[in-house]
Amino acid sequence: MLHVAESGATTPAASWFSGARLWRLANAGGLLILIIALIAGIGIFIPSFLSPFNLFALTRNLAVDIIIGFSMMTVLGLGHMNLAVGAIGACAAMVTGFALERVGLPIPLAIIVALLTGMVLGAINGILIVRTGLHSFVITLATASLYFGLMFILTKAEAFRNLPVDFSGLAKGRIGSFSNFLFVALALAIGLVALFNYSQLGRQMLATGANSVAAGLSGVPVNRIVVITHALSGLLAAIAGVLVTARLASALPSIGEDWLLPSFLAPLLGGTLLAGGYVSVVGAVLGAILLSVLQNGLILMNVSGFWIQFFLGLALLAAVGIDRWRSVTAERRGMVSR
Amino acid sequence: MTPLLEVRGATKAFPGVKALDGVNLTLRAGEIHALVGENGAGKSSLIKLLTGVLRQDEGEIRLNGEPVKFNSPHESLAAGIAVVHQERNLIPRYSIAENMFLDRLPVRNGLVQHAQMRREAQPWLDLLDLHINPGTPVRYLSVAQMQLVEIGRALSLDSKILLLDEPTASISEHEVERLLTILRRLRDQGKAILFVSHKLEELTQLCDRITVLRDGKNACDDRPLKGMTKADIVTLMVGRESAVTDLGERTAKLGEIRLALRDLATGAGHKGINLDVRAGEVVGLYGLVGAGRSELAKSIIGAYPVLSGRIEMEGRPARIRAPLDALRDWHIGYVSEDRKGEGLILTQSVARNTAITVWHRIAKRLGFLWGGIEKAAILPFVERLNVKTPSLDQAVGNLSGGNQQKVSVAKWLAADARILIIDEPTVGVDVRTKGYLHRLIWKLAEDGAAILLISSELSEMVQLADRIYVMNDYRIITEMPNSRQYDEMSDRLMTAIHRDNDARTQSAAAE
Repeated sequence: MLHVAESGATTPAASWFSGARLWRLANAGGLLILIIALIAGIGIFIPSFLSPFNLFALTRNLAVDIIIGFSMMTVLGLGHMNLAVGAIGACAAMVTGFALERVGLPIPLAIIVALLTGMVLGAINGILIVRTGLHSFVITLATASLYFGLMFILTKAEAFRNLPVDFSGLAKGRIGSFSNFLFVALALAIGLVALFNYSQLGRQMLATGANSVAAGLSGVPVNRIVVITHALSGLLAAIAGVLVTARLASALPSIGEDWLLPSFLAPLLGGTLLAGGYVSVVGAVLGAILLSVLQNGLILMNVSGFWIQFFLGLALLAAVGIDRWRSVTAERRGMVSR
Repeated sequence: MTPLLEVRGATKAFPGVKALDGVNLTLRAGEIHALVGENGAGKSSLIKLLTGVLRQDEGEIRLNGEPVKFNSPHESLAAGIAVVHQERNLIPRYSIAENMFLDRLPVRNGLVQHAQMRREAQPWLDLLDLHINPGTPVRYLSVAQMQLVEIGRALSLDSKILLLDEPTASISEHEVERLLTILRRLRDQGKAILFVSHKLEELTQLCDRITVLRDGKNACDDRPLKGMTKADIVTLMVGRESAVTDLGERTAKLGEIRLALRDLATGAGHKGINLDVRAGEVVGLYGLVGAGRSELAKSIIGAYPVLSGRIEMEGRPARIRAPLDALRDWHIGYVSEDRKGEGLILTQSVARNTAITVWHRIAKRLGFLWGGIEKAAILPFVERLNVKTPSLDQAVGNLSGGNQQKVSVAKWLAADARILIIDEPTVGVDVRTKGYLHRLIWKLAEDGAAILLISSELSEMVQLADRIYVMNDYRIITEMPNSRQYDEMSDRLMTAIHRDNDARTQSAAAE
């Protein structure tokens, strides 16, 4: 009978308004205000921040941050992690380079092959998690190393630097001051909003993340959902890998090495729960914007890279602190079982 | 003589439910006091008051005549009240002695003094006739032995008052005898013991006085057990009027055999299970906790594998490898006993929790659920079951237990379940909703569903079922028609289970 006491602290009607939904709005609103303040502040002190050149570079990097954030966010929705985001991105980058330079595939075909590679690598993560029953942390920690290693062995750690001009030209396109890449990221955001809010698959993913036992007994094919979600995460990581390859005009094995921190930061700052069952696509976009603006501003202020690392670490701690606080309040409302 | 512990007029309300309503309890030194009542009568709430987990809204607790307030379990323990819960609270890899002295390990120079600890544990183990080396890790002990270790821990804290919550629920007949002997000895040494149990046989053998709770009130307060029969106690527990409730007459219109299990053996451990459920029939599956009833339900829906034998649906062999097959191909629904863990997704909305079983059916092209088709699909069922919620977007975790249970039934109605397996339909549900759910189960059967009802609550079983299968140790031991006479059925069911247990003990002894 205890659950009644826990859940009944507020009347149902009151908790509807004061509860989860309002909090989520406030969370997104808070981020937005922070971002605007940051942009205004940096813009005033460093006018070059708002120059077309800087905005182009900023949005091009931002797009990649958003997409690797999405890659992590999809598996966070399951309550899983994907530590192989960077490794999959690197593999996709190298496959792109190989397909274009060695095989000489047409650009669209090369991109498709790279994206399929990402999906397959993600699906392998999912299959291993389902088959072994081990935590995704352990599995993807292992496969991250596995994928990186395999990629180094196959490419002998050599970069592909002679890519077609048309391919690297993809990274130069702009609409106004904004990089084309940003619109790729926004299109993906719209797709993910549709997935998580309006599709059977998205609902099944979140149901699995919130309570996989209950979801399974209600007829959700939990194992299949896990594999599909990890494949989607791999696909998103591969998209990011291809974009970075175009930006650098070369496929380097070192792509993806520094993705881990931003991949967690964007969704967690945006309100996605580490425990699973809830994702915020808009939040992840805002989280990535906050990160990119902060990073870009610090660089323009000639702050050393070490300090930037320091600040990003601080931001992650703040994000998980907020996550912890959220899950504690959810528990008080009696919404979390055991 | 002043009673050691008194509860006077304790009231504890949760929103929508009064768990305790002016309850009295009196424990005296040198007495064993029985506390009985059906599930949800308020026994656990009362124990939580005594152990400082909950605080009463009104009324008081007196220790040796002095009013006391417990703000935490720690304070209650310090006052000499120890509780042994139904579930074991030991750390399996730690030794008996370590478990007993966990909160006050003897330490010298930062090192735990293992020898000293074992020496200190020994007398308590001797007292309980537990002749095992105190250095033995607890995981090597039997359930009964673990229980004794917990009692030992309670005694070593110098507790004057011992609360035992269903201590005999999961131990064998022989071990029960030993436990009762030990409890009598402790009583004679002047302890006050509160003994909570559903097993009336034991109570009448062991206890001196009895308190019965019904719907959060005292049905009897501190009455001597001498001269009371088991039937008297049952009457107090269920109340004459509620033993035969106003469900009215049921005229079962039975159809074809819808679900048949033939010689089924499952990965959960069932052997040779034969069972039929007809369309329009409410079939009961009765047994004690741990008999394998929920596991059988889960095997039917494909959550456990079938090792041999067959599941037949409407005469055709059914191949069910996962709950999705059961739902999509055969329309079998399972309302879990564990609403929070297995039945519902508490953080998600009423709409999603209800629609989860129909997503695959209502989704439009590419699996999208645009334009409110989800809510439109489930609204009739939410309304039909009278689920009280401010909106379909409300998180299910915010609803009361009764409404949560309605949602877990509604989702299977939405799925058009032709077979509904309902596991403990009214656990943690208020009395009014309970009556509603009982009528609903009959109504569903009348509308042609085949219902397999699992319940540990005997009165519920006797009230609702047309026919009862009795399960023990993952086997079906007998099947009987339900006469709807509580005393008669209670006797027959218990006799069947006890006889089976005795037979098992004998055959084990013979080997």
